[in-house]
Amino acid sequence: MKRKEILRLVWINLIQNKFKVLLTSVGIIIGAATIVMVIAIGRGGQMDVAEQFKNLNAGAIDISYEMAKEELSGKSGVKESGKSFGGLPENLPSGERMPFNGDSQNMPSQKGENFSNNQGKTGNFGGFVRGGDSSDFSDRMNQEKITLTEEDVDELEVFVPDISSVSISYTTRSNVDGGNLEEETSYTIAGVKSIYAEISNLSFQVGEFIIDSNEENKDKVCILGASVAKEIFGSAIDAYDNTIYIDNRPYVINGVLEEVGTVSSGISMDDAVFIPYSTGVKYIAGDEVNPTITVIASDLNNIDGVMKDIETVLAESYPNAEFTMTDAGSKMEAASESNRTLTMLLFTMAFIVFIVGGIGIMNVLFVSVKERTKEIGILKAIGCSRKDILVEFLLEACFISIFGGMVGVAASFGVTPIVELINIRVELSAMGIGLALVFAIITGTIFGIYPAWKASNLVPVEALSEE
Amino acid sequence: MAKFNFSLNICAEFIYYHKVNFHYSTLVLYNVLKYICEREVWYIDMTEKKIIKMEKINKSYQKDKENLHILKDVSLEVREGEFLAILGPSGSGKSTLMNIIGCMDIFDSGEYFLNGISIAEKNEKQLTNIRNQEIGFIFQKYHLIPTYTVLQNVVMPLLLRGMSKEEAVEYCMDIIQLLGLDQRLKHKPAELSGGQQQRVAIARALVGEPSILLADEPTGALDSKTGKEIMELFLKVNDAGKTIILITHDKQIASYADRFVTIQDGMIFL
Repeated sequence: MKRKEILRLVWINLIQNKFKVLLTSVGIIIGAATIVMVIAIGRGGQMDVAEQFKNLNAGAIDISYEMAKEELSGKSGVKESGKSFGGLPENLPSGERMPFNGDSQNMPSQKGENFSNNQGKTGNFGGFVRGGDSSDFSDRMNQEKITLTEEDVDELEVFVPDISSVSISYTTRSNVDGGNLEEETSYTIAGVKSIYAEISNLSFQVGEFIIDSNEENKDKVCILGASVAKEIFGSAIDAYDNTIYIDNRPYVINGVLEEVGTVSSGISMDDAVFIPYSTGVKYIAGDEVNPTITVIASDLNNIDGVMKDIETVLAESYPNAEFTMTDAGSKMEAASESNRTLTMLLFTMAFIVFIVGGIGIMNVLFVSVKERTKEIGILKAIGCSRKDILVEFLLEACFISIFGGMVGVAASFGVTPIVELINIRVELSAMGIGLALVFAIITGTIFGIYPAWKASNLVPVEALSEE
Repeated sequence: MAKFNFSLNICAEFIYYHKVNFHYSTLVLYNVLKYICEREVWYIDMTEKKIIKMEKINKSYQKDKENLHILKDVSLEVREGEFLAILGPSGSGKSTLMNIIGCMDIFDSGEYFLNGISIAEKNEKQLTNIRNQEIGFIFQKYHLIPTYTVLQNVVMPLLLRGMSKEEAVEYCMDIIQLLGLDQRLKHKPAELSGGQQQRVAIARALVGEPSILLADEPTGALDSKTGKEIMELFLKVNDAGKTIILITHDKQIASYADRFVTIQDGMIFL
């Protein structure tokens, strides 16, 4: 039988059983829509991650000193161990602890060392915390704190190999006035070095970033985040070269950043005011700052090595201090990993939906073969070959699944705005649509094989005598 | 050349049957040849081609561990152009015989030649082809495909041969007109009366130009008036030269045939 004629017969059968076709393909419709959505949500997630991290250099390692808070630590051991010894390893924030100075049993001897610390740093803390969470442990009572300084930056630059740059920064909040603001408003102020722009991949709507001479002269200049500029002046252009007042001191606006959007962690650059590090130390933060040093590793494969070196170098200066180090790479890794897990989960779900849908198709086709036993018998009696019947039923299954796949894809377009309403990013892609169609057709055809085979093997005499 | 051979054949038979002496026979031969040449009766073939030749066909079924011997040494010959009725009550094995004649079922032993083709050695695919080419089925319950229109039902055997729909429609238009179905082409079988449905079935059986028409109780589901019409249609088709085998339990229907055989307990009585 000519393929064209078989197709015509298949078409007649489908057209005359529209409702059945629709019901049969429900499983496939849902499956295809799920696949499209899964891939779209997965891609959306990936893009989210990529966007969140686009201002983060993969080789960046943030080093900060986190104060342990007595109230928060809540361990009796802290109190007993004496004030000078506050941040024992046990009391530090959770995270991967890497004590390099022994454990609490060595503490008495460490105590001696700490007191003889000629740098005047008084942190008597053992070990480092790496990659731990950086929740806000603020000042510890009765405890002098460690402040990372520009000297540490210089030291790291000199003694740690495999790094491309080192920078120091801090954030604080201060009242800002000027522009269209009706009253003083509190904004995040970030004291940064000129190199920050490079480390954070910043781009500008207008102007430029802090330059080295600003830093040297402690110039009162600032760079505004996109949202800040908009809030205070209405637009980036209006903000440029204007003046704002931070703590009642005038700062000239040298530039406005491009909008960054959501960020993975740390400060939201859109909502921050950037000033030269030295200016900040002098006028705003004073001794209250708790700076973060950012080291950029030149070799992404040697982040761990660089982190170890940093520990060693800092241990020279702060023998018992514990620093929090977070590397952007592992953060990105973690974010993509969780994204991958989610995608896998959804994919598994889609797969299950397809199997269920496929079994649905198989079931309906079985019923269809049963219903049409006599028809198959007639066809065989008048000379329809086994192959033609097999092909006809397979094509029917195939068409049902193509139909299901297409409706499913259309449904996914309909569902997208609803999913976006609940704040899930959906990125429809041709790849997803193609994959959904391919999966739909494969499922339908595979599950159509057995009923079709059954149909083709009917014995004409028996099929005809069926009532 | 073939025609001349036929003529000689006829003469030889004539001589043999009339047991005439040789001198006389040359004269007769001359006259016969003259007759044939003058009347142009080349096509008379006195050898009577056998369209169906069955010899000692046996068929048994296994049912509930019991061996049912349905057909017992059935032998049957059907001449080309003959209208044969196979008459038998239900359970006599006539349906099994019909299935075997129609190449829808295989037999256990014996020989069966359909239009010169030995059926015993054929596989399923070949049998399917033989059904399509050599046999036109007409069933008691019409067995039309309910989802197809009259036209689609009629052209089906041609489509199965690999014809395109357009070719097939053109090919079967004469038969459709002969059976008076030209106004009903777009109808579905369910929209037709029983008699009309049977006409569609006959049209479907005829379009493939099979060697035999195999009709199983073709009037069984029809009232007597329509049944009569259908039987007259069969006579018309037979007059046009088509071999018809009619299977029935009804003596009256069987009386339309040129000849009938009876089947009882799986055995044929001539």
